[in-house]
Amino acid sequence: MESLTLDELRALARVQGLDLTEPELARLLPLVQAARSMMETLRDVLPRDAEPGSQYRVL
Amino acid sequence: MNDLVWKPAAELARLIRAKEVSPVEVDEAHLARIAALDGTLRTYITVTGDAALAAARRAEASVMAGETLGPLHGVPVALKDLYCTRGVKTTGGSRILADWVPSEDATVVSRLADAGAVVLGKLNMHEFAYGPEGLNPHYGTPWNPWDATTHRICGGSSSGSGAAVAAALCAGALGSDTGGSIRIPASLCGISGLKPTYGRVSRAGVLPLAWSLDHVGPMCRTAADCALMLGAMAGYDPRDPTTSVLPVPDYMAALTGSVKGLRIGLLGPFFMESAGETERRAVLQAVKTLEGLGASVQEVELQTVKLAAAAASAVVAVEAYAYHETWLRKRPEEYSADVRERLRLGAFVSGADYVNGQRARLLIRDEVDAAFGRLDVLVAPTTPIAAAPVGAGDVEIGGERQPLRPSLIRFTRPFNVTGHPAASVPCGVTSEGLPIGLQIVGRPFDEATVLRLADAYQRATDWHTRRPPAAG
Repeated sequence: MESLTLDELRALARVQGLDLTEPELARLLPLVQAARSMMETLRDVLPRDAEPGSQYRVL
Repeated sequence: MNDLVWKPAAELARLIRAKEVSPVEVDEAHLARIAALDGTLRTYITVTGDAALAAARRAEASVMAGETLGPLHGVPVALKDLYCTRGVKTTGGSRILADWVPSEDATVVSRLADAGAVVLGKLNMHEFAYGPEGLNPHYGTPWNPWDATTHRICGGSSSGSGAAVAAALCAGALGSDTGGSIRIPASLCGISGLKPTYGRVSRAGVLPLAWSLDHVGPMCRTAADCALMLGAMAGYDPRDPTTSVLPVPDYMAALTGSVKGLRIGLLGPFFMESAGETERRAVLQAVKTLEGLGASVQEVELQTVKLAAAAASAVVAVEAYAYHETWLRKRPEEYSADVRERLRLGAFVSGADYVNGQRARLLIRDEVDAAFGRLDVLVAPTTPIAAAPVGAGDVEIGGERQPLRPSLIRFTRPFNVTGHPAASVPCGVTSEGLPIGLQIVGRPFDEATVLRLADAYQRATDWHTRRPPAAG
């Protein structure tokens, strides 16, 4: 996945209805980049037949 | 200071039942201690002294009248300030909810009251439970009572709960745990804490961080007290559809003192090898003690736990954002900068990433369950390090600088992802006298075995009886 740019983050924030200042966007960018990169690892390792599960055998 | 405050909850309940002490005397002693120490420790956001004394007087009258008494009759407890309390403000450690007064109690609050507990007040925490250090710029960051001179973190997010129990400002407390927020402060504050199985205890009326990862549970000075509190709280609740209808066992009866024949798995590389040397040695010594008590130990390696950070991050980011979205748009300035920034992150995590996080949970859970096919409990350090100074952004572990926040939750978060029950009990101290925690993980809904092992360990050691220097 390509790294997100500041311009792209600004556009995404606007779509989300978030009114962020330039300093706020600049602080957020590395967090978003790191999160996207971490989550990309899941895409690479999850078997196709792995299903979501959110709670333990509730009986 | 009145020595009553250091007695375990179970002992206080016994003394009250036997009319050897009055609930009023017990609660007054705790309230006096809060007045004396909490200006520095900052563990409480709200102290409900008048209501507590009124409840204590009613409890005393019940004892004298020979009425049937609950298991926590007259015992003073306190609640992390994200449990809804009817008529008492519930801030979530935030400015957003600074003046919010709920109209009803959380289910577990009602259940503790039904068991006779007396609530002393609402405890400090990381804002909206979103942080493992337990910082709070709005109400003041609690002071870890294990260091009288340096302001150290208590661990979070249930930082006030950890410090209040450690300093005997209550006999027991409720915490909540989304990535380790009961076990981390239990470890850093030298107390016992239990995150029950997901579905064992109702979350109804508890402010969420991430619904599918949130667990609520007790924090006390002893494992036996955690058993006592859990018994009063656990069980199906129609207000929380994720609670289980499985019957609640008698956790106190499970505390036999014996671990003979129990098969312990010592969690390998991901856990032991990335812990600090002192923490690793303390856990190995604890394992040796348990072996000496008749348990068997083998090393176990979990391959999929390395996915827990990504899975949990995706799930927490999106669920927390969903809860906070409206406030983030309308009242962003009322959040602390740090929490606001991390909450906003959730706006940029895709639906596919969220579902992948949930898919990874099942993989990890299956591997942990498979380990429980040949083992009864798993053990590891609770945290790789002891309490860091407030403001430290990174810490040294094994000669390398590591960021503090992910380090604190590295060993606990996997079991939020899987939902297995997990406790932390004190198992040593560093050269600076700071507590170290032993994490004990059990099969789903087998809190009884986790508590039995923790209690047996505490019968054989005295780490849980030590008193912190800043606690008077």
